[in-house]
Amino acid sequence: MGVFEYVWAGVLAVFAGPAAFEILGIGVPITVLMTAAGFLLGIIGGATPGLAGPFLMAVSLPILLSVFGFTPDALLPVLGFLVGVMKGATVGGAVPAILFNTPGTPDAMLTTLDGHPMARNGQAGKALRTAHFASVTGDTFSDLVLFTCAPFLAIVVEAYLGFGEKAALILLSLAFVAAVVGASPMKGLIAAFLGLFIASVGTGEDVYSRLSLGTDTLSTGFPLITAVLGVLILGEVLYSFEQMWRNRRDDRPAGEAPQSGDNRLTWGERRRLMPFISVSALIGTGIGALPGIGSTLAATLGYATGQKMHKGPVPFGKGTPEGVAATEAANSSVSGANLIPVLSLGIPGNVGAVFLILAAESIGGFNPGPSVFRFSTAEVNPELVIAFGLFTTMMLANVLNWIVGGHIMRATGVMARIPKPVLMPIVLLLTLTAIYVQETDFTALYFAMGFALLGWGMRKLAVPVLPFVIAFILAGNLEQTVRQAFAASGGDPLFLFKSPLSVVFLLLGLLVILFFLRKPASEGS
Amino acid sequence: MPDRKTELILGAVLLLLGLLAGAVWVPLDSETPPIYEFRRQTYIGDALLPMLAALGIALCAAVHVAITLLDRGTSDRGGPAFDRHAALFLLSVFALMALSGLVMFWSGPLALALFGPETDPPATYRLMRGTAPWKYLGFSFGGTLLVFGLISLLEGRMRAGRLLIAVLAVAALIAVFDLPFDTLLLPPNGDF
Repeated sequence: MGVFEYVWAGVLAVFAGPAAFEILGIGVPITVLMTAAGFLLGIIGGATPGLAGPFLMAVSLPILLSVFGFTPDALLPVLGFLVGVMKGATVGGAVPAILFNTPGTPDAMLTTLDGHPMARNGQAGKALRTAHFASVTGDTFSDLVLFTCAPFLAIVVEAYLGFGEKAALILLSLAFVAAVVGASPMKGLIAAFLGLFIASVGTGEDVYSRLSLGTDTLSTGFPLITAVLGVLILGEVLYSFEQMWRNRRDDRPAGEAPQSGDNRLTWGERRRLMPFISVSALIGTGIGALPGIGSTLAATLGYATGQKMHKGPVPFGKGTPEGVAATEAANSSVSGANLIPVLSLGIPGNVGAVFLILAAESIGGFNPGPSVFRFSTAEVNPELVIAFGLFTTMMLANVLNWIVGGHIMRATGVMARIPKPVLMPIVLLLTLTAIYVQETDFTALYFAMGFALLGWGMRKLAVPVLPFVIAFILAGNLEQTVRQAFAASGGDPLFLFKSPLSVVFLLLGLLVILFFLRKPASEGS
Repeated sequence: MPDRKTELILGAVLLLLGLLAGAVWVPLDSETPPIYEFRRQTYIGDALLPMLAALGIALCAAVHVAITLLDRGTSDRGGPAFDRHAALFLLSVFALMALSGLVMFWSGPLALALFGPETDPPATYRLMRGTAPWKYLGFSFGGTLLVFGLISLLEGRMRAGRLLIAVLAVAALIAVFDLPFDTLLLPPNGDF
């Protein structure tokens, strides 16, 4: 098969795949349906303060696995749903920020700076339209960069990197994530090492399961989904419980201002926003391609750059559409580019990507990484078809976003009225139930609460959780690659330093850590 | 950010735990050492990854302690990360969760023992775990107690409306997880 045949096979896997049901004799493909459902859920969840995309992806994943099972046919519907959630939540997040001055996520904080003043001036509709237009433009641009860059990067990695270099590259990525996430590189590294340590419990190649203390409970290790959901989601739930418990006050958002201003967004206005959107999309895509740097920095840089470019009558921070556009384009263009390290290197760079990898690993048959992009001509590479199918679902979600995203987004304002003290306990029960139906054992819930406690403690101590999760996921891959590199070198203790490229990767890792150690905490993050 | 004292305690504790894990736990609880020879071939053993990880924690913790000692700016940061309120909070939440877990686990079997059909031999919960209403009892009572209890704890008061929300939320979860799927088991039915 040639390149275009693979692309076409990916498109067909989505649109000509198994049908969920038929309308007038025409089958509705299950992947299309799931992508649309995920997108809808993503917008609604994104518009609900306290529920962000990762929350929804985390809770949905065990349900999806239970529904679709662990066969290769499950891959595209499940991945499509998660992609839909990721994209929907990106646009939905602007709703509470604009309407109620309630940022659901840190990057939405910057959307409030101009979005909420516009809403107070009776221009909530215009602000929401601007946010949607900028968000979907930035997201689409970022996806196009992903589609073109990831395969090339993967081919280069597969062609030029041996086991030693790949091991060094994983170490560089871990060092990078540990250094840039959070306020202290040392705490990031501690989190990454802790992830590696905990992932090694109950695993390994020997008959005896290492670090299991001779118990059956630990001999099979910690279930991946339980550990990740525990630290990422339940830890955050516990942390938010404590904040609410300390405040003991209603988180009800401010009332909505009456809308009487100009709420349209004309083509002329869209054209005038394009320079801001373009620059922010470039910034967001560049930042998103680096693992670990979140959309908050992209939004901050996009906003700051837009502020310098702006010469209009209403300054940034006083309710100008350019401010909303600069922020939303920057933070939305991170999501597509974030998948570049996932698909080309197998390294998740953000929480959303973590759940895509978790889904792929749980179902099997698709291992994100450089080996996916083997354009074999003699036989079909099914992973490559899935990769192009995934790209197709991303474009499908973008098309949905362009067509109906804005309308759905504007209808979800009511979600911000749900009080957080009511919502979060339900999220807790939902997450625990989702874990239980996957594992069907109360022990999994004990593990989940143990990891929740760990996640809560890490947040309290300002130890970032993302390096922990990424190290936990990559531990098996890293160990296997190191073993292979060691064996290939004939047992040379300096096997990681034999190739100039792996030395460069390791030095870069060291330099990144030293650089961020030198910088003050606030700048580093 | 935690205050200087918390940072120092964190670093010291992690340094100690890292050294203990790397030098004691990992060597004693792994079948093969970090590097070993077998039939004249050198291999990486199961102990290497956890040992490097544990010693990495210790090393980073030591550097963290050194940085904190040298950086005087950390002394004027916020209060301690863990205080009496944090302990009280954790105690309340985990007590509530433990109680909800107990109710969830035992409601079904208890209700079956008290009000179940009289058969010979007596029906066990394992036999009835897929039959309504028994299969819903534990999740309904335990889940409602958990959601309503947590809402009340967070809001600092009990309201009838919140109880209704908790009941509806549990009903919605049953509708999502149980009604469409025959193969899924609500908690705690998988344990029986």
